Amino acid sequence: MANNQQLWARRRVLATGGAVSAATIAGCIGGNGDDDGNGDDEVADISEYQHDREEPDDEEAARQSELEFLQPADPDEDYDPVVSFDSYSMQVANLVFDGLYEWDDELNLEPKIADGMPEEEDDGETYFFDIQEGIEFHNGDEVTASDVAHSFTAPVEEETQNAATYGMIESAEPVDDYQLEVTLEHPYGPFTMSTMAVPVVPEAVRTEDTEAFNTDPVGSGPFQFAEFQPGEYVELERWDDYWDEPQPYVQRIRFEAAPDDANRVAQVLAGDTDVIDTVPATEWDEVDGADGVRIHGSRSPSYMYLAFNCNEGETTDPDVRRAVGHSFSMREFVNEHLGPAADPLSSPIPEVTNESGGWEFPMDEWEDEMPEYDPDQAQELLEGAGVPDDWEPRIIAPEGGPREQLAERIGSRLSEIGYGADVQGMSFATLVDTYNTGNVDDYEMYLLGWTGGPDPDVYYYNLFHESQAGVGQGHFYEGEGDFHDNILNARESADQDERRDLYVDVTEEIIEYLPVLPAYSEHNTMAAREEVKDLHAHPSVSYNPRIVSDYQNTWIDE
Amino acid sequence: MGLLRYTTYRFIQAIPVLIGISILTFILANLTPGDPVRLMVQGQEVTPEQIERIEAQYGLDRPLHERYLDYMAGLVQGDMGYSFHRNRSVSELIASRIGPTLLLILSAYVFALITSIPLGILAAKRRNEPFDHVSRIIALIGVSTPSFWIGIMLILIFAVQLGWLPSAGLVYPWWSPEVYGHSGYLEHFYQTIRYLLLPMVALGTLQMATLMRVERTQMIESLQGEYVKLARAYGVPERTILRKHAFQVAQLPIITIVGLNLSTALGGAVLTEFVFNINGLGRLFYEAIIQLDYQLIMGITMVIATMFVIGVIITDIAYAYIDPRVTYGEAE
Repeated sequence: MANNQQLWARRRVLATGGAVSAATIAGCIGGNGDDDGNGDDEVADISEYQHDREEPDDEEAARQSELEFLQPADPDEDYDPVVSFDSYSMQVANLVFDGLYEWDDELNLEPKIADGMPEEEDDGETYFFDIQEGIEFHNGDEVTASDVAHSFTAPVEEETQNAATYGMIESAEPVDDYQLEVTLEHPYGPFTMSTMAVPVVPEAVRTEDTEAFNTDPVGSGPFQFAEFQPGEYVELERWDDYWDEPQPYVQRIRFEAAPDDANRVAQVLAGDTDVIDTVPATEWDEVDGADGVRIHGSRSPSYMYLAFNCNEGETTDPDVRRAVGHSFSMREFVNEHLGPAADPLSSPIPEVTNESGGWEFPMDEWEDEMPEYDPDQAQELLEGAGVPDDWEPRIIAPEGGPREQLAERIGSRLSEIGYGADVQGMSFATLVDTYNTGNVDDYEMYLLGWTGGPDPDVYYYNLFHESQAGVGQGHFYEGEGDFHDNILNARESADQDERRDLYVDVTEEIIEYLPVLPAYSEHNTMAAREEVKDLHAHPSVSYNPRIVSDYQNTWIDE
Repeated sequence: MGLLRYTTYRFIQAIPVLIGISILTFILANLTPGDPVRLMVQGQEVTPEQIERIEAQYGLDRPLHERYLDYMAGLVQGDMGYSFHRNRSVSELIASRIGPTLLLILSAYVFALITSIPLGILAAKRRNEPFDHVSRIIALIGVSTPSFWIGIMLILIFAVQLGWLPSAGLVYPWWSPEVYGHSGYLEHFYQTIRYLLLPMVALGTLQMATLMRVERTQMIESLQGEYVKLARAYGVPERTILRKHAFQVAQLPIITIVGLNLSTALGGAVLTEFVFNINGLGRLFYEAIIQLDYQLIMGITMVIATMFVIGVIITDIAYAYIDPRVTYGEAE
């Protein structure tokens, strides 16, 4: 069955990969660096890096602003949202295209091209979207329902990498120029929280030459394509006939990639660029203390986790998994190694997902139920489970980042209670090949990350449902009772209360049996010169830098 | 054997070398742990059947030798394949990235040669004097310090602290000044030099240090040669001896080292490009390896190997041309 909101998830996973790989070298940030397991438990708050709104004294001067933005990875340079599959191309495309709906700074979905929320029929199988009249693409054509229909169906018809995102749509038919009827194959919970945020492309221009459109796109957004040098940079310029308010101040914006962390940081410190995406945790203090530079941060729906092999080996026993959870302190680790760049997690749902989706999950209760640092309890559980004295589980993690450091931390804590660990940092390519074999010789634990959005399905279905065993997850947890049915039923229901209850059951089972130990959520961050005003980090990396929205209008004060 | 025949012979000799490199690279790239398709679709909901379909689409399900022969068949027709990670042809990607790398390596060599030769001569002339000791220390530091670290230090000092030079990027002299908003060619040239200066020094320092020591040793040897003694006995001025007799002979090993160090320079360029955010072949190569982009890895390896082999051949030919004592392979 094709489905879902993976477009966003994929982009975010890539972005998170960038963010995580950003923190390449071991470093102690914001903590006392001691290794006794009793470090400071106070978690730094990213909200300190969310700055108040700012208004220019001279609007005309603000409208002369030109901004350069450095991305932390090379984009695939696919700027057609039907094709685009990476966050960094979408950072550009999201300024060129408007969505049917868009996420605000708290990941709430709000209408953009759509005129209000859709009318829902057939228990969530049919949706009627009204389109605002008078919105124009950059070429002067009016945005109509058939453009929106094309935006929904083209990824599947053309079998682009985004096909899975819209695969549950059976048909998208214009009722007239300003109304669209979308029918789903079955009710699909994530549709209203994720899929509806489709960027709208002009059907006529795009289908005329899809290849040309990919590198010279036409949208209805606040910026239009100005110049593109493959492998070098892409420049956008303000669209002065933009249909929505506010009108952007920034006149021109240039995107370049700077994958080397030290280089990216050096460029913003030296004033050679205006904004950099992703402040590496290892460089946080240096950037934070630098004159003339501000960090901008936002919580993100990223989710890092430690997963156990429930297929083979000692970790098939839930007591062993709980013992590992008691053997170290996650909070202490996050404080020491990530500081303000991340929050510890106690469920597969990041806080921002819980809040933006209005799920009201009992996060505090879940936090209380998570195993705390208690080496005696860990030792007792391992002895009780009959784990041999020479147990040395293999822990695999992406090399060179905080996840490898976490694996090493767990290893050293296990050795303190008489066991050990064979920690193996691997290239991401090797890890992808290894973490889901289910073979105890390959791993007994692995560390990976995932990123979704305001809908929990992307976390639960991909990372826990049995259909994804050996594909998106390698813990092979079989579940108790209705575990897998609950995950499936939650995605095929359009009733949020029902879905919430199902997810609560699933999460409580995860916390009780611990096929996975939630680790931390890494924030989205940018560092900008102080002259860059009214910049706000968005939880979705592909919406950064958002430049203009109802909560910001960025400019450079020169 | 004449020079032309020798040159032809050396180029023909290079063919099996390049075939050997291609086989080795193809095997190594394909045996590297990790699955490019799984890596590409990470994060997307895919079934094993879908993965199989993608593998079939790119021919990854076929035996290694068949894929290799297909690749080589394409290569001799000028088709370097298609990077499915980047949705672009490999030759197009390489063509767009090779310019900055060549510019960087060339400028690093220029920097190394114009600094090392005078310094080496001076050290030889002032053997065991303070200048010689200082130059030895500089050479030791230059040889033992990785170019990327020198690069980072240069950025910290000259870009971040002093703010004199840009911390990253290159201004391509082959682009028009308008692209950068420069007022004319003079400003364009000035900016090209400004941007090139730090990466050039970072990459060229190792070459400079090596060449400086070789130059010093060769000059000392030359200055102690019989012909120099003879020249002195005939009352030839010291300046002429240095310039005409000792210097010319001392340059032969320099040519060899410059040619053979091309591989080191290419290796150093990968890291230098990364540190200075230069979109060259080195950075592309690094990314291709991370993504297990087989076709791109193969394409870049072949280009680099060809560059290296040609570099060695040119060195040999230059050596043979400059030194009449070097034969072209005929039996004596």
